[in-house]
Amino acid sequence: MSIIVGNGLAHRFGNELALEGVDLVVDAGEHIAVLGDNGAGKTTLLRILATALRPTAGRLQIAGLDAFRERRRLRHYLGYVAHAPGLYPALSAAENLQFFCDLQDVSRSRVEQVLDEVGLTSVAYRRSDQLSRGMQQRLAIARAILHEPRLLILDEPDASLGSDAADLLMRVMKDKTVVLATHDHALANRLCQRTLVLRRGRSVGTATRLRVVR
Amino acid sequence: MAVALMLLAAGAIFLYAPTDALQGPVQRIFYLHVSSAVAAYGCFAVVLVGGIIYLRNESPAADRFARAGALVGVVFTSVTLVMGMLWAKPIWGVYWTWDARLTSTLVLWIIYAGYLLVRRLAEPGRQAARIAAIVGIFGFVDVPVVHFSVTWWRTQHPGPIVVNDALPAEMLATFLFTLGCTLVLAATLIAIRYRIETLIDARQAIAEPTKLVAAPQPGAAP
Amino acid sequence: MNPLRVVLAVARKDLRAEWRTRELVPALAQFIILALLIGNFGFQIDSRNASTIAPGILWLALVFAGLVAFGRTFAAEREQASLEAMLMTPASPVAIFAGKALAAGALLVMCEAVLLPALSILFGTPFSGDVVAAVLLATVGMAALGVLFAAIVARVRARELLLPLLTLPLWIPFVIAGGVAVQSAMGLPGNYQQAIGLLLDFDILFIVLTSLAARFVLDE
Repeated sequence: MSIIVGNGLAHRFGNELALEGVDLVVDAGEHIAVLGDNGAGKTTLLRILATALRPTAGRLQIAGLDAFRERRRLRHYLGYVAHAPGLYPALSAAENLQFFCDLQDVSRSRVEQVLDEVGLTSVAYRRSDQLSRGMQQRLAIARAILHEPRLLILDEPDASLGSDAADLLMRVMKDKTVVLATHDHALANRLCQRTLVLRRGRSVGTATRLRVVR
Repeated sequence: MAVALMLLAAGAIFLYAPTDALQGPVQRIFYLHVSSAVAAYGCFAVVLVGGIIYLRNESPAADRFARAGALVGVVFTSVTLVMGMLWAKPIWGVYWTWDARLTSTLVLWIIYAGYLLVRRLAEPGRQAARIAAIVGIFGFVDVPVVHFSVTWWRTQHPGPIVVNDALPAEMLATFLFTLGCTLVLAATLIAIRYRIETLIDARQAIAEPTKLVAAPQPGAAP
Repeated sequence: MNPLRVVLAVARKDLRAEWRTRELVPALAQFIILALLIGNFGFQIDSRNASTIAPGILWLALVFAGLVAFGRTFAAEREQASLEAMLMTPASPVAIFAGKALAAGALLVMCEAVLLPALSILFGTPFSGDVVAAVLLATVGMAALGVLFAAIVARVRARELLLPLLTLPLWIPFVIAGGVAVQSAMGLPGNYQQAIGLLLDFDILFIVLTSLAARFVLDE
């Protein structure tokens, strides 16, 4: 079953066209990487897929539901790691996660599990603005998986992660459908079966195992 | 055609209606002043309805009506306020008092000036339209609430009361005629402005595909 | 989904963050003290006219403190892109809004807890449960409106200008009714019961309206 079906997705900011005519089909359990230079439209596309942004044109279905109309329901189903971590600096790592448990009506016991999964148990009570950039990124990932989503949308999750990025991400991505944006071609190769390349807001094509136009 | 009607109305005001016994020729301002106020409220009703419809089903036409209505409404409100002040000085001796009507008209002006400002400053498109619709709805509700509050406040503090006298027949006729002409003028102005807004929207819709959010990296893929 | 849990979580989070950074409370406290000082020097206050002028100073101070406090409710969220993270959860936008209004209202109430006794001490005006009740009732409505409009202007340019412009006309009825209530509680002519009744009516009206509007303002 296709989890994501996107047709002619486009988005305009004021007078500027960030994305145009992108088609995308992702099947259950697939990991797909979105590649492209800065400004190619990766973040815009990912935000649309995560239902954080409504495309100015095109249609999107996730898990068979209209992505815009059913977006509240779909948010139980998907987890999103945005470009910016979006954490509360004055709150500790654990408090940040507890807050999101409360927002999503998830049991607080998940906090411990999730911290363990991303390797942050030792700094659970440290203020999040006192965490290194890599730890903050891991916390953002932790937050995205609190509610055990089946679909993950990850915008450059490897950005500050360091050498064990691939292992962590592989663990997190296991048995889920994933759309991942990254600059790191090698990582994309390791983690994903397919790639979608964007250039200047348009899809230049999908490829299996990275035969990218360089 | 609306212009012709307004000229007719002007004629009626100056030639047909008799001079008011108490207030003298200045009283003639009254016709346009009150008509203008009524037209302004009418415009803001358009803004309200446009806003509600827009929130309900995102119709761009509704949003355009709201925009047009707001602009024309602010114009009419300004006219009302200025005329009111011109009238007030010779009659009451002051330009302004804080009674219910004046206060709520001033608040009306502030609210819809705010509406126009929000539209200008927000990111054009859906966001601006939604925000403006909310502002328009709250604004429309607020004006009668303020009016009522000030009226009530006056009962707590006894003070000078503004008298509104009865109108002899010719004056009433003139007034109604002027009112009708003004409303037609308002409707015409809204229609004109609506046309302009449609053109503005159309121009925005033409995108420049090469102009993207960030420039591509130097040495990018061929 | 449990909306109450969301409301309390958001309120707790806001208050906790505010407590940890400790920026807002001293700023507001300074502001209030200044307002009192200026009030004293701006008006010739003696024991006879204190009851007439003090309520005016009270509402002026509250309105400006409110603008500052509510303006900040969304400042931090925006900077951290955390508002989007919150909205990406299934939590209802109305519940999120209510939580933020609750937290912001609580901050304003803390200001009032300082301002009212200070007013009483410095200007000799009577300080009674009636005065407190009036101020609290007004705060509820003002918080709902202030937070909604703070959300509206959060993503717009020139928000420091727009917030007062949009919010003050809506606060006027609260200041009018609250003003009469406080004045009559301090011994001047005015119908206290009516004023309180009006405040209650306004509260209900605007709480309903802001709740309905919250979905449109907070959602993408």
